[in-house]
Amino acid sequence: MAVKKSRKMVNPSGIKGDIRYGDLYKPGGKVRKRREWRGVKDTLYDYSRWLGIMFTLGKFVAVPRNVKAMFRYRWMANYLAVPMMVDRHTQGLRGEYLRMCHTEQDLIILDVAKLLANLFRGDRRIGNDKAFSDKVVLVDENEMTAVMMGFPGLKGLSRETPSTYVSVLLNQHAAEHYIDVAQEYGLAGDVCPMPEAEAGVSIDDDAPVLGKCAIQCNTTCDGSLLGNGVISRRLEKEDGIPVFQLPAPLRHREDDVQEYAAEEIRRAIKFIEEQTGEKWDWDYYFECARRVNVATRCRNEWLDMNKTAYPQVFGSNLALYTETNYMAICGKVPEFEKADRRLMKLAEKAYRKQKMAAREYRHRAIVWGVQSHFYMDFLVWLLNCWGIVPLTDMLSMVNTEMIAETDTPENREQAYYDMAWLTENMIMRNRTHGGYRVLLDELFEFVEEFDADMIILWEHITCKALDGMHGLFEEKARERGIPLIWVDHQLFDPRVISRQGVRDQVNTYMRTVMQEEPLDPTLEILDDDNSW
Amino acid sequence: MKDLKHLIYFEDLLQDANNELIRQAQSEGMKCIGYMCENVPEPLLNLPGCFSSRLRAPRTGSIDVGTYYLTSFLCEYSRALLERALEGGFNFVDAVITPDGCTMMNRCVENMEVLKAMGEGKEGFFFDYMEIPMKADYNGLDLYVLQCRNHILKPLSENYGIDVSDAAIRKAVSEHNRVCRLIREIGDFRKSETPAITGYEYNVITLATYAAPKHLIIDRLEETLEELKHREPDAKPWFRARVVVAGSEVDDTDFIKLIEDSGAFVCADRFCYGSLPGRDVIELNDDENALTQICRQYMYRGECPRYMDTAKMDGRRAYIDRIAKEYRADGIIFQQMKFCDPWAYEKMMGSTILRDEYGWPVLAVDRPYSIGSSGQMRTRVQAFMESIDIKKIRKEAE
Repeated sequence: MAVKKSRKMVNPSGIKGDIRYGDLYKPGGKVRKRREWRGVKDTLYDYSRWLGIMFTLGKFVAVPRNVKAMFRYRWMANYLAVPMMVDRHTQGLRGEYLRMCHTEQDLIILDVAKLLANLFRGDRRIGNDKAFSDKVVLVDENEMTAVMMGFPGLKGLSRETPSTYVSVLLNQHAAEHYIDVAQEYGLAGDVCPMPEAEAGVSIDDDAPVLGKCAIQCNTTCDGSLLGNGVISRRLEKEDGIPVFQLPAPLRHREDDVQEYAAEEIRRAIKFIEEQTGEKWDWDYYFECARRVNVATRCRNEWLDMNKTAYPQVFGSNLALYTETNYMAICGKVPEFEKADRRLMKLAEKAYRKQKMAAREYRHRAIVWGVQSHFYMDFLVWLLNCWGIVPLTDMLSMVNTEMIAETDTPENREQAYYDMAWLTENMIMRNRTHGGYRVLLDELFEFVEEFDADMIILWEHITCKALDGMHGLFEEKARERGIPLIWVDHQLFDPRVISRQGVRDQVNTYMRTVMQEEPLDPTLEILDDDNSW
Repeated sequence: MKDLKHLIYFEDLLQDANNELIRQAQSEGMKCIGYMCENVPEPLLNLPGCFSSRLRAPRTGSIDVGTYYLTSFLCEYSRALLERALEGGFNFVDAVITPDGCTMMNRCVENMEVLKAMGEGKEGFFFDYMEIPMKADYNGLDLYVLQCRNHILKPLSENYGIDVSDAAIRKAVSEHNRVCRLIREIGDFRKSETPAITGYEYNVITLATYAAPKHLIIDRLEETLEELKHREPDAKPWFRARVVVAGSEVDDTDFIKLIEDSGAFVCADRFCYGSLPGRDVIELNDDENALTQICRQYMYRGECPRYMDTAKMDGRRAYIDRIAKEYRADGIIFQQMKFCDPWAYEKMMGSTILRDEYGWPVLAVDRPYSIGSSGQMRTRVQAFMESIDIKKIRKEAE
């Protein structure tokens, strides 16, 4: 079968300011040589947002207990790299795209700063605010927080989000110590490094200790499920924090698992009520449910735009925001609804003007698999270096259905099924589990729907669910004539495959198989092994 | 000791997935239901008119094609099974039922299905997948029962006209229990100070009960039991220490042989395809339907690490401690098949807790699917034997 042809599109407006992005890198350095020049208006906007981030950080360190935490927890040092993380994701962005990125990232930074402040406030070792701690329910990092949608008086806090998940976004080397700790304790080196690092934090006793109780979920994979056992052991046996294990069925598309899932949600809510003394609040739940629907509608519209010749909310702007808003926020934070609406306005404006985010669009790609966490700005690089437009990614292809948002007796019952559905369909696991159709067949349906001419397939090498479809991905792509680029990585551990190792896989394919030259050759090889 | 009369026969049964008893049962018109995981209740696959065969890939050589489809990061068991299926080695099977227990097993079977590796020319052939509970409680039980009904009994009835009534299930349990009682009785000889059976022999016999139709193997099990009652053990124990082998799937009898050749006696087998708790008798009463009772017993006795509730996690370590005491073990070998995620974590936690909290000498190892005669493994087991010896000497000196 012939290879599907790509259609090159040149941006008639061009890109203001720097276009040789590789020149901004300082070989061997942690940070770049200088800030990017984006034309007067966008540079001023970007600089003002940079100042805003510095203000957020300044406010954070003005609280003495937060400073104390910086000396107690090894992973806190990574937060020095917050401004750099934003710079990495805004590379090459101008106009609406730059504003979308800042709208999302600045809000996420604010949200993480609040999360950290709350963790340290209740932490027995730092703030030791017992009354506050008693209002805290610990949740997993990779867990839908739907069961917290009816508890306005409680805080659902994840310790793993700041200690491992965000840390690796900030500093590519952040998890290495904890991975080593887990392996020294006896864990095999061939498991996924995400739950491995989270287990390592627990083994190293490097997580804040707080909370009245905890809800753990089997989340994404066997590793996550089993890694939770390491964490719950310390929580229950040493810290005296009771844990409810919330199993979300793996075959989530089957009707005959939904009652089981809903009952587990009922039990989790009952457990929280019993432990904390708080009562489930239906008004608050439906308010959150309405916000979940707003987010879903927005995401659906963005995805629809991305099916056209002028995609708007795509790449990192789609991926990172969806992960946060869909899973961790889950309708509970009103600021994210405002951000959804602002993003929608920006996207519509850019769409009307038929704007493009780069000088040239050469390929339309579906990015599938689990992205390299230590290189989340890879999608930005794909666009800038090779003109490959990442239309959507696997982790953004989550729930598209509306949930019940009006308070009626029927909807109160439906709500348990909705929460269960969301929990079953949290990012990653809604694709890596549930049978091969959701991972394999639907990928090729999306290729058609989005009119894509390329697949970028992240192969997170120790993700057994993805590895297990390796040969079939390749065969199906070959049958359909879709170029498929494998991009191997080890999620949290750049010692196994470095960022340049990741890039090289694309470079080699594009040069040899596609016989193309890069859009920006300065980005092809970057000395960023030591970079944050 | 004198050789067991049927040992070579049992060994031969394990040499080929499509062994002679499977061929015999199929020639009698019975349907062979393949499965790979202990979470599929075995009696439900042994209803009148069908029998179970737990799929293995004996005499595995190259697994290159399996590795192409699944990559080298999936466990060799799943790769070997896929390879064997693609080679046509499982064409005798009439259906495959698998739980979404571990990801690797699930992907292995999905690849078989998509690649149409089995079932050619077999009318009624089907693949089915089950959700199984991750916690042992009332909700898990409801799920288990529903899943067994929808994904085992229903397709068996619809595709092959199998009688799935309560009476039929009870009959299957009765036959299952006969095998379990025989295996348990044979296994009890391992408790003796001078055991009349080796761990290897026991492993071969146990494994044969998973791989062959039960009704065709019972007479030889009975004969073996009788033989053991009169078998003269060696006057002096041939081993230096008694060990429990715990952990992930082991269907390679060479692994147990290697451990015993290194000076240990495998006195208890707490691994998938082992007898503890895989050959526990299923007790049925008349007050409740048999299906629910089977599921309850499978769920509560299950030692699979995918059970995530604290009671189950603690119970897994307590269970190993209990059988180690019951079978008078000197130490525990905690093994996992390489690339197995669930057992990687369970091995880490289990070996640490059994060592630190229960005070057992523990050897934690990972291994390939088919170990052959690994010098590395031999050295590790020998070193473990020495460490147990040293501990014994120190204890005696105190």
